[in-house]
Amino acid sequence: MIADQDLVRHLSETSVSVSLETPDMTLNIGPQHPSTHGVLRLVARVDGERAYDVHPVIGYMHRGYEKLSEVRTYPQITTLVNRIDWVSGYANEVPFIVAAEKLMQLEVPERAQYIRLILTEMARISSHLVFMASYPLELGAATPLFFALRERERVLDLLESVTGGRFHPNFNRIGGVKPAYGSGSQTRKVVQDLPAGFFSETRDAVGHVLGVADEIESLVAGNEIILARTKGIGILPVEVAASYGVSGPNLRASGVAFDLRKVESYLPYDRFDFEIPVGENGDSWDRWWVRLAEIRQSVRIIQQAIDGIPSGPLQAKVPKVIKVPKGETYVRAENPKGEMGYYLVSDGGQGPYRLKIRSASFSNLSILPWILEGVLVPDIIAIMGSLDFVLGDVDR
Amino acid sequence: MAEAVGGVAEITFDTVKIKVPAERWVEIHRQARDDLGLVFFSWLSAVDWTVDVAVGDPPSGEVVDHFEMLTTVADLTEGKRVTFTADLSKDDPVIASLVEVYAGANWHEREAAEMFGIRFEGHPDLTHLYLVDSFIGNPLRKSYPLLSREVKPWPGTVDVEGMPGSAADPTEPSEENPEA
Repeated sequence: MIADQDLVRHLSETSVSVSLETPDMTLNIGPQHPSTHGVLRLVARVDGERAYDVHPVIGYMHRGYEKLSEVRTYPQITTLVNRIDWVSGYANEVPFIVAAEKLMQLEVPERAQYIRLILTEMARISSHLVFMASYPLELGAATPLFFALRERERVLDLLESVTGGRFHPNFNRIGGVKPAYGSGSQTRKVVQDLPAGFFSETRDAVGHVLGVADEIESLVAGNEIILARTKGIGILPVEVAASYGVSGPNLRASGVAFDLRKVESYLPYDRFDFEIPVGENGDSWDRWWVRLAEIRQSVRIIQQAIDGIPSGPLQAKVPKVIKVPKGETYVRAENPKGEMGYYLVSDGGQGPYRLKIRSASFSNLSILPWILEGVLVPDIIAIMGSLDFVLGDVDR
Repeated sequence: MAEAVGGVAEITFDTVKIKVPAERWVEIHRQARDDLGLVFFSWLSAVDWTVDVAVGDPPSGEVVDHFEMLTTVADLTEGKRVTFTADLSKDDPVIASLVEVYAGANWHEREAAEMFGIRFEGHPDLTHLYLVDSFIGNPLRKSYPLLSREVKPWPGTVDVEGMPGSAADPTEPSEENPEA
């Protein structure tokens, strides 16, 4: 047996010459991981507890919509685009339809615009409620999920009652919206455009949404573990966000009060009174908080829109076969995930010559190599989840 | 704004489009970011102008074969946005990379590179983004066929049964196989 003194001397002699080294390890996350909201793979080099050179591998869900839309007619493309970001399918349709209407120089009836606006905000609420459900779950808090999904279902039921679809409404028509599901014969002169009781039920539902927003806030904002895991984690400065094209709540969490609903005119948002929630530090916590605050603002918009909705036709006069005149335009909209835009190049045919789809999650995800550089391995999930992307929106 | 960067401006349906020479691509974007406050990088892509189309309709007018590069950059205050465009020849489509000016151009350029076969000089890692590494071809070129269309034409013959008595009625026994 070696005496204690000998052991100490032995150790001290050996450790002076050899410094501790941990070999780099390659860590694979995904392609199938609950926090990736689709199929995303991350390859990271892990040195001890920290991740470096994070390399996202995307394309598992690439469906080639830009190519497909070159062989589809305009009404057919609506079906494609609401599958881009399926969590807020309705909101994807609007900028595309508006782009086509712009080139056709169509005046959309006010009532149709209000219906579009109400449904877009409902899509935003349902999308943000999914985030409210999934993000705490990724951090280990399961309770908010049940609260959030219960109210989301109420909102989706209403969306379904109007459009006939929970996820893929395919409800917008060039020049307006289609008469609602179950609203009777479309050839009759007077059609009931929204299901009976829609407005009162919507008022009721958004009231519940406000209630659940408070409940979620008390569940999450008082949770020490969530606070510790999100505050100061994954800080995204404005300059970096802008240069990567990060938009929507992720950008506003970094402290910019910039919302396309205020500066673009794709829907009559200028008639409503609402605030732009802005974060302070641009960390994961602020990204969570901004979305919660946006739910409340969306409720405000919906309440005002229901109060002010004009009567009138749902559809402008359009030819039977839709041909969009020659021209180019870019229409962008504030979608739940951020800036969603379509650059439409038309050559006068029944389908676009080229349709560039600018999706929010694509640019939001491209920040990952920057924002995950050198973070602790468990924080990868905390940061990635806070960016709220959907892989259908990344891969298109 | 067009004079400031030395391009030709055109406003089409609320979209300000400024055509600039491809040689000054990076310089003009840097100017747009620093002098005009267009700090937000929205997207980058291209349009394949050609009459050699395998899918869709060819352009109605006469076109010179070329790629039209497009980027859209915006500010974060008033909602200003500008679409810059430059023409690239089909023979050697190459343009300088914008990654130095807008970091977000990285993925957009990788996408344009694989989809159109455009080379971005100075790009740090011009590998495939969506497509598998072994994929050959540039799918968004108009000359690239859409495989599902090769198998089944659309919109072609409607894939329902023809009216009774019409020539396309598949329920009528054909001469070669009267039993069918």
